[in-house]
Amino acid sequence: MLFSMRTSQSKAAALFGLMIAQIFCAVFFVLDVIADYREAGTEAAYHLHLYVETLATFSLVFAIVFEGKFLLAMLRRQAHLEESLSNARSAVQEIMEDRFGEWGLTPSEQDIATFLIKGFSTSEIADLRGSAEGTIKTHLNSIYRKAGVRNRTEVLSLLLDCIMVTERPAA
Amino acid sequence: MQNIKVWDPAVRLFHWSLVIAFTANALILDDDSKLHQYVGYVVVGLVAFRVLWGFVGSRYARFNSFPPSVAGATEQLSDMATGRTKIHVGHTPLGALMIYNLLATLAIIGASGYLMTTDMFWGVEWPEEVHELSVAWAEFSVVLHIAAVIFESRRTKVNLPRAMMTGVKTVPDAKGG
Repeated sequence: MLFSMRTSQSKAAALFGLMIAQIFCAVFFVLDVIADYREAGTEAAYHLHLYVETLATFSLVFAIVFEGKFLLAMLRRQAHLEESLSNARSAVQEIMEDRFGEWGLTPSEQDIATFLIKGFSTSEIADLRGSAEGTIKTHLNSIYRKAGVRNRTEVLSLLLDCIMVTERPAA
Repeated sequence: MQNIKVWDPAVRLFHWSLVIAFTANALILDDDSKLHQYVGYVVVGLVAFRVLWGFVGSRYARFNSFPPSVAGATEQLSDMATGRTKIHVGHTPLGALMIYNLLATLAIIGASGYLMTTDMFWGVEWPEEVHELSVAWAEFSVVLHIAAVIFESRRTKVNLPRAMMTGVKTVPDAKGG
């Protein structure tokens, strides 16, 4: 598990590097497309080449945005898995993430909810995230509201319920 | 709240002189004018000074306080992804990458621009191509730099532009109270 943590770390780094290279290319392609449109002027509509070029450039830009989102999701997941040492835990993590997604938690709320489930106190979470306790309490309340529960214990039993149901082997 | 002196006067003077010189050459001055060349020399001088200052300057100005680090950069991205705020007193890892990017790009702009003025490369196409492409990249980088400064100031609640004016970073106490 420790090994796979490291590999995912270098995967994130590789993806980041790739993104920088693509951004570099995208800047030039966008400028090139603009220059080509200027050159073609009113004739632009008749150049098939320009359409393809524009499409390709836009695809690249969208790909970069998509990769960015993927990279952030990957890093988030990694940050939450940091202390996990077993595959079972990572399976639990997956279920938790699904649930967080269903509840519509923001990235910050997901992070706090993960700490909450791991048993950290409000002040410990504040320390870990470098924010004020009041902020954490506000986040906690919105987590409870979104999950439709009243307190920490209810969040835990909700998750435990999901895990027990999910992990039951299919008959 | 805690006030920490981070940017020495030389770093700040360098930064804002560069802002003025780059803006002048990229947006205002005529590319073919003599003044464009002189301002170009100033930019090259500023970059050379900053590189030197990176070895002998004050603590946070030195390169060894912000080495290019992919691990550091992914860690900062990870903070962004999870909404955690870790305060960096000096340059952040992503900020450091931007600094190296800008210094290198400006050096390339300066070198290619200089070649365009020499007799040897008179009428040769590639220095001009390199010059224009690297200027485009620098302009994109500057826009990204400004956007990142605004984003990070809001995210970490540390006023970064003000720190570059006054030299003092006002950071929340280590333990979020």
